[in-house]
Amino acid sequence: MANAFVAAFEILSFGAIIVLIVLGLGIIASMMGIFNFAQGEFVLLGAYITYLAYAKGLPIWAGMVAAPFVVGALGFVLEALIIRRFYAAPIVAMLGTYALGLIIRESVRGLIGGFYLTVPEPIGGSIDIGAMHISAWRFTIIVITLLVMAGCYLLLSRTNFGLRMRATLENPSLARASGISTPLMYGATFAFGSALAGLAGALIVPVFSLYADLGLRFLIQGFVAVMVGGVGSFIGPVAGAGVIGTLSAALPWVMAPVVADVLVFVLAIVFIKFRPQGLIAGKGV
Amino acid sequence: MGAVKQAIPAEIGGEADVAMDSGGTAERLSARKILPIVEGVVLVAALLAPLVLQDYLTVFATRVIILALFALSFDLVWGYAGIMSFGQALFFGSAGYGVALLARDLDITNILLVLPAGTLIGLTFALLLGGFLLLGRHPSSVIFVSLGTLTGSYAADRLARGWYYLGGQNGIPSIAPMSLGTYEFTEGPAFYYLVLGILVVVYLLCRFLVRSQFGLALAGLRENEQRIAFFGYKAQHLKAIIFTIGGGVAGLAGSLYAFHEGFVWPNMVGVVVSTQVVLYVLFGGSGTLIGAVIGAVIVEGVSFWLSDNYRDIWPIILGLLLLLVILFRPLGLISFVLGERERVGSFGARAKENLKENVKENRDAP
Repeated sequence: MANAFVAAFEILSFGAIIVLIVLGLGIIASMMGIFNFAQGEFVLLGAYITYLAYAKGLPIWAGMVAAPFVVGALGFVLEALIIRRFYAAPIVAMLGTYALGLIIRESVRGLIGGFYLTVPEPIGGSIDIGAMHISAWRFTIIVITLLVMAGCYLLLSRTNFGLRMRATLENPSLARASGISTPLMYGATFAFGSALAGLAGALIVPVFSLYADLGLRFLIQGFVAVMVGGVGSFIGPVAGAGVIGTLSAALPWVMAPVVADVLVFVLAIVFIKFRPQGLIAGKGV
Repeated sequence: MGAVKQAIPAEIGGEADVAMDSGGTAERLSARKILPIVEGVVLVAALLAPLVLQDYLTVFATRVIILALFALSFDLVWGYAGIMSFGQALFFGSAGYGVALLARDLDITNILLVLPAGTLIGLTFALLLGGFLLLGRHPSSVIFVSLGTLTGSYAADRLARGWYYLGGQNGIPSIAPMSLGTYEFTEGPAFYYLVLGILVVVYLLCRFLVRSQFGLALAGLRENEQRIAFFGYKAQHLKAIIFTIGGGVAGLAGSLYAFHEGFVWPNMVGVVVSTQVVLYVLFGGSGTLIGAVIGAVIVEGVSFWLSDNYRDIWPIILGLLLLLVILFRPLGLISFVLGERERVGSFGARAKENLKENVKENRDAP
C-alpha cells in the first residue's frame, strides 16, 4: 500500500513537471503555429538564472521569481528580432529556433562547463503521512503546476488580454481591423510561452540539477505531448502532457525501463498517425 | 551576411576554399553552367587532397567524405522532395550498428557483403519509417513527418543506450577492418580513394535521378505538393520512394563510417548526428547535390580547424552562422555562385524555359 502510494506520487509529480514544461510549448505551438525548438533552452535558462541567484548568495526563491520575467523578456526580444520572420514557414521556424537554441545551449555550456550543478530545494524535507514520506518540494511543484494551469486558463478565457490574444491568433487581419496591435500580441504570446518555460526550469532545477542538456531532454517529450494532445487549443497540449508524463513515469514500474522509454514514443507516434487532430480537437481555449 | 560570405572562404584552407573561390571567378567569366565547374573543382581538389595532406589529415578527410555522402542522403530528402527528416541519423546509425554486429558476431567484413548489407539496412528502416509516416489515407502534415522522424531517431538513441546486446552507452568498440580477399582497408589513402569513388558513383546516380522525370516531379513536389497531386502524380508514393532511397544512401554512409572509425556508439543514431547533417545541407545549400558536399566539408573543416583553440565557442559561432544563413541565405552558401535557374535544373535541352513551363509540358509524360 505504502509502495503503491509512493509510486503514484512519483508518477503524479513527473506528470506535473512535464505539464509545466509543455504549457509554454503548447501555447506557442497552438496559438502561433510554431514548434519552438528553443523552448528546451528557455527551460535551461530559467534553471541557470535560479542557479545564478543561489551562487551569488541570494535566496533561491528570488531566482525562481526572477526567472520567468527574465526569460519572458528575452523571448519578447527574440520574437521581435528573429521569430517574427518565420511565421509563414513552419519548417523554417523549426530550423531557426533550433539555431537559437543551439546558441543559448552552448553559451550556457560555456558558462557552467560540463558539470552537473546542484541547487538545493527551497522547501526541503519531506511530508510524512503515516509511515510514508514524500518530498515536500515535489509536492510544491504539483501545487504550483495546478495553480499555473488554472491561472493560464483564466487568463486566456476570462480576461480582456486573453480575448485579444485569441482574436489575433484566430484571425489576424480582422483583429487588426478591430484595433488590436497584432505584432504586440504575437510578441506577448511568445514572451508568455517563454516565461512559462523559464518558470518550469526554475522549479525543476533542484530535482534534476543543472547541466547544459537539461532542456534537450524534455524537448522531444514536449513535442510528442503537444502532438498527442492536439495543436490548436490550450487544453489539448496540457492533456497530452498529462498522458505522456504519466505513461513515461508509470511504464518503468511494470517493464524494463529501456522498453518503456521507447514504447511511449512508439505508442505516441502511432496514436498521432491515426488521430492527427490529437486527443482534443478544435480551436479555442 | 556579406561578412559571412567573405569570412568563410577566407578562414578555411583546403578544398572548400578552392571550390568557393573558383566558383566566384567562374561567375565573372560566364553567367551560365557554373554547376559543372564547381563540381569539377571539388572533384579535382578531392582527388589531390591525400597527396598534399599529412596522414592524420587524410584520415580526417576520409571522415569528411563519408559525412558528405551522408549529407547527400539528407539533401535528396529535404532539398529535392521537401521532406524534413530530422531523423536521418536513424538510418546512418542503424546501418553502422548492423555492419558492426556482422563483423563482431559473424566475422563478415568482406566489403562486397557489408556495404550492400548496410545499404539494405538503411533502405529497410527508411521504408518502414517513411512508409508509416508518409503513406496512408490522409496526407501527413510536414510537422508530423519532421517530428515523427525526430522522435524515431531519439527513441533509437535511447534503445541503443539501454540495450546490452548493442553495447549500451559504450557502443561496439574495435570493429575489424573491412576486407577484400586478403586485403584489409585500414585508415589511409586507400580507404580515402575507396570512399571518394563511392561518393562519386552515388553522386552521379543521384544527379541522374534528380535530373530525370522523377526528379522533375520531386522538384514540383517541393514547390507545390498539391499541384503535383492534381497532375495525377501519387505525391505520397514519390515521397516514400525518395525517402527510402535517401535512407539507403545514409545506410551506405553509416556502414563506411562504422568501419572507418572502428566503433559505433549511440550518438550515431541519435538527434545530435541527425541535426548535424541538417546543418551541413543548410550551410552548403539544399537542393543542389554539390551544396550538400560543400556544406559537409566546410562545417567539418572549420570545426576541425577551430577545435584546438576555440572548441568551446565554435558551437555558438555555428549557431549564429546557421541563423544568418536561414534568415538571409535560405539557399545556402552555394547560392553565392549558383543562380536560381541552374539550381533547379533545366531538364533536357530546352535550357531557356523555366521550371513552371516544363511542369506544364511534362505533366502527362510519365
